[in-house]
Amino acid sequence: MIILIDGQEVKASSGETILSAARRAGIHIPTLCYHENFAGQGQGRCRLCLVEVEYQGVKRIVTSCTYPITAQIKVRTSSLRIEQMRKNIVMLLYKQAPASSLLQSMYCEYGCQENLLQDNPGEKCILCNLCVLACEEMGSSAISLIMRGTDKKVATPYDEAAQTCLGCAACAAICPTQAIEVMERDGVRIIWNKEFKLLNCKHCGQPFATEEQINFVDSKGNYSDMLHYCQNCRQKMAARRIKDFR
Amino acid sequence: MMQNKHNDGRQVLVCCGTGCLASGSKQVFEAFKSQLESVEGVEALVSTKATGCNGWCEQGPLVKILPDDITYCLVKPGDVSTIIQKTILEHEIVEKLLYRDPLSKKRIKSHHELNFYRKQKKVALRNIGEIDPASISDYMEREGYQALNKAFSMLPRDIINEVIKSGLRGRGGGGFPTGLKWMNCFEQEASRRYIICNGDEGDPGAFMDRSIMEGDPHTIIEGMLICALAVGASAGYIYVRDEYSLAVENLARAIQDARDRSLLGRNIMGRDFAFDIEIVRGGGAFVCGEETALIASIEGNVGEPRDKYYFPSEKGLWGCPTVINNVETWANIPVIIGQGAEQFASVGTENSKGTKVFSLVGKVVNTGLVEVPMGTTLREVIFEIGGGILRGRKFKAVQTGGPSGGCIPAELLDLELDFDSLAAAGSMMGSGGLIVMDERTCMVEVARYYLNFLAGESCGKCVPCREGIRHMLEILSRICEGKGRSGDLELLENLAETVQEVSLCGLGKTAPNPVLSTLRYFREEYLAHIEDHLCPAGICRDLTRFSIDPIKCTGCGLCKKSCPADCIIGESKAVHSIDSTKCIKCGSCVDSCRFDAVVINQEVGK
Repeated sequence: MIILIDGQEVKASSGETILSAARRAGIHIPTLCYHENFAGQGQGRCRLCLVEVEYQGVKRIVTSCTYPITAQIKVRTSSLRIEQMRKNIVMLLYKQAPASSLLQSMYCEYGCQENLLQDNPGEKCILCNLCVLACEEMGSSAISLIMRGTDKKVATPYDEAAQTCLGCAACAAICPTQAIEVMERDGVRIIWNKEFKLLNCKHCGQPFATEEQINFVDSKGNYSDMLHYCQNCRQKMAARRIKDFR
Repeated sequence: MMQNKHNDGRQVLVCCGTGCLASGSKQVFEAFKSQLESVEGVEALVSTKATGCNGWCEQGPLVKILPDDITYCLVKPGDVSTIIQKTILEHEIVEKLLYRDPLSKKRIKSHHELNFYRKQKKVALRNIGEIDPASISDYMEREGYQALNKAFSMLPRDIINEVIKSGLRGRGGGGFPTGLKWMNCFEQEASRRYIICNGDEGDPGAFMDRSIMEGDPHTIIEGMLICALAVGASAGYIYVRDEYSLAVENLARAIQDARDRSLLGRNIMGRDFAFDIEIVRGGGAFVCGEETALIASIEGNVGEPRDKYYFPSEKGLWGCPTVINNVETWANIPVIIGQGAEQFASVGTENSKGTKVFSLVGKVVNTGLVEVPMGTTLREVIFEIGGGILRGRKFKAVQTGGPSGGCIPAELLDLELDFDSLAAAGSMMGSGGLIVMDERTCMVEVARYYLNFLAGESCGKCVPCREGIRHMLEILSRICEGKGRSGDLELLENLAETVQEVSLCGLGKTAPNPVLSTLRYFREEYLAHIEDHLCPAGICRDLTRFSIDPIKCTGCGLCKKSCPADCIIGESKAVHSIDSTKCIKCGSCVDSCRFDAVVINQEVGK
């Protein structure tokens, strides 16, 4: 079906979210808790992607990352009211995670006014849950959101070193605010209170993955020797094979 | 023989609702059981029953004798032998156990003569207090499962249309038309459908669902069965708040009894219809009362809600169409099907049909559960049923709809209680909490109190609810501490709008209500806190100063006696005064003085 986003005709399939249709058409809607790796499914946590939907003369504000397109709607991605609310959300997120450089620059970008509300000094996490989803996707589910309300946080069970954690650091890689600490020194990686021995690439000798990660992937299929090379070297080896292919 | 004839069919109903149990009704019940056994010839003719909550908890343990229609209040195990001797054997009334009306000073024989009950109309609570919840036969004697039997003779669509015609709206808070919800589920193409009963009652001070689950579990089962038959579901869940152990016990027994009588399971009532119910105990999160969070919790996920752009009736439990209704809604279904939609809809207002159960608590004389027709005014509920404000104080406001409801001021006492008028007044029906507040209530503190509750109970999934409530609470706290600044009210309103508009679920969308409604009706009280640094009600400690008016003080010494800080000085029969350096601002002196001599934030002449 065809919907209108900011006056522009956009093709969408039934059940697709507004955000996904808009992204494909190159229309920008700001997001923080959305990542395209999760099959176009949004979470509706940060609420930054809110837009105005008009259908049969009725207007309402919805989050574009979760709103499924089922009819020929008209969407406005920006208005005075929407911008005011986005500004408030950015302000609230900045107060929650003032140490995040992303939120610092968004705070300025949105022209938020200084107020005297308390912030959490040193905090970077905005509880977007992307790390939890990434961990789940990796197959380990070592971290989760725990507690509720203002006590909510991402943690391993009982804040102890999690048995299932592979040390893959996918959580840190996906984090939009660099809130997850990964320490690497002398062939050891420390993440989520757990220490991992790093394996060196068979070719270049650089440390590239944890032993647990390689063993876990190895158990999932037949990858032969490839698993023992770092991503860089694997690419180079593959390129060489293609070049030599006759 | 005469004696036997008189005793024939007599019943002793001992209220064993949670309130009465806490006051010792279990012991009273046991005493009746054992002592009646020892009286020759009587035990076979008098049946003793433990019933659900009668709603009049402050006079418990309650004992009712039928058919004499006698209600005894505050009964102790020691009174049982007297009741058996006098009432059961000699057909006399034990005067001292009757309720004494505080105004007329007269003893009242039956609770039916009280305003508290006379003004009520029991539909959802029709069986509670009248039957033993552990007995399926008791329920059946009162037309139990007759509505289900009738539903078997109807087409699914006709059952649903009957519910639509009744105008029943969801009693859990949202007020969505129940029949439309069922129809939506019915019309989905699906191979599996589910039915859920939401018994995760979490509002502080609310206990209507608890009372129904404990006192009349079969009505819930029958309601769910009728819906399952109509929409074509084969499995149902009752999600009960974990703290409600008696409700779980009674529901579990009722489910088992229903299975034993072929009312659950396969071939229900000998027909080609299968349905069964499982109990799920909640984990104690307030937000799980929100239907999508509840569904997530049943599925074993974190109890977080999701955006409701799809209704549960389209994609609910495990992605299947699901009808989820509140306990009280289910309790109305057998009545609607049994007696017909028209009769049900003859009570109530234009857009809110039937009755609603309210839990009336706070500074009101008769606290308890009351069921009244929709459209009854707040004044009738608080002053006629509730008996007015405690200690003859002045009414200030009533908080309706649970923690995220709003506060309604005295000017609106004639407001009719229904979904729409409450919403128009900036509050909501919610699950039916009514918390009455007197003049010794600070409305800023009230808003702070509820926001504090909601800040702890917000699931924390979406930003406006989690962070917005936190900062609104921060502003309210500093206003209560006398550190409010100019611009605070505007900042509050700005945040409230974002939280209301952008939050993901009903909890967040309604969370600003306590703030916005108190700002709407009691703005001057906020301004007194911020600009004059005074709390007019004398509640916020940093903004309160008590003193004694020498003209009114009689030197009776009551305040001196009640003061926990020993800061009241004065000889007996001489004017007292308060040493404000030692005063902890607890207000005991105000509450104890019978001459209104303790004044708040006023200069008193020497």
